Amino acid sequence: MIPHLVDIPQLETERLILRGPQASDFEVLAPFVMSDRASFIGGGADKDITHAWRVLAILSGHWHLRGYGVYVLQPKGSDTPIGSMGPWNPEGWPEPELSWTIWDAEAEGKGYAFEAMTEIRRYAYEVLGWETAVSYIDAANARSIALATRMGCTVDESAHGPHPDDVVYRHPPLAEVLA
Amino acid sequence: MTTIPTLTTERLTLRAPMAADFDALRAFHSSDRSHFVGGPFTEAESFDYLCKVIGHWTMRGYGRWVVTLTGAEDRPLGLVGPYYPSDWPEPEIAWTLWQGAEGKGIATEAARAARSFAYETLGWTTAVSMIAPKNVRSIALAERLGCTREGAFDHERFGRLDMWRHPARAEVPA
Repeated sequence: MIPHLVDIPQLETERLILRGPQASDFEVLAPFVMSDRASFIGGGADKDITHAWRVLAILSGHWHLRGYGVYVLQPKGSDTPIGSMGPWNPEGWPEPELSWTIWDAEAEGKGYAFEAMTEIRRYAYEVLGWETAVSYIDAANARSIALATRMGCTVDESAHGPHPDDVVYRHPPLAEVLA
Repeated sequence: MTTIPTLTTERLTLRAPMAADFDALRAFHSSDRSHFVGGPFTEAESFDYLCKVIGHWTMRGYGRWVVTLTGAEDRPLGLVGPYYPSDWPEPEIAWTLWQGAEGKGIATEAARAARSFAYETLGWTTAVSMIAPKNVRSIALAERLGCTREGAFDHERFGRLDMWRHPARAEVPA
């Protein structure tokens, strides 16, 4: 029995299926969370498997509490997830965020995050009705800063993130994104 | 759409957790009464906690329900159900009542329903409940349910938890 809790709308891009988190994602997510590649999102080599389990449970539960959440990216024709990204708004977040994480180092540098985030941002604006969106990025996370810049984000000095080292990148509004 | 099953007992409805349960969870989590479950917690921790309650269903295919009194307003009274986070030695039947629901046999009634579900629907052949040694109220409930104490384990955050073994499936009236 696999409980289906809310209808998580599946999205699709040229190369990717974007779907809700599921238990089988643990196989790929857990090694990522327990590596230093996850240090910007609260993981790290000092974290254990229990921590990774909680991370996936939270990714799933967020959907059911907020009605939206992060999608898991799966390249078409593959069963292996490569990352998670999307609307994220846990208690204590200054405002709803568009977040992104590539779990599998091999999947970096191929434009997957840009491709998925372009569709997810459209979804947040057009379907969820967001009027603005931010992404909170650690000042040392050069790869994410490059993606934010490529997506047209600019630093919003007037806003603050949930963590002291966060820089707030504000996304361009819907009209500019569609233009 | 949800496929978290709803259970009913003589007085109770056990239903899927939802966002509206957050305030009642917060009231419990910000009180000293939550110390047996690792509290008190901040708001952000409580949100993660409720995410995990629901996410557990995704991860395991079963999980804890929110307990309510049937026919009354849909007021959440606590969490009861099969529970098996990754740092547990084996699956358990867990119960936690929040504010003002104690002393009415609610936990007993809900735990019996959860145990029946674990045995009949999930096919468990045995079940335990993990209880802090000083949690006298839960120990009394475990005894009412016919459990016997069988060893302990040390949890990283909760410290020692005693394992109370439930009567086997065949010994429990359906």
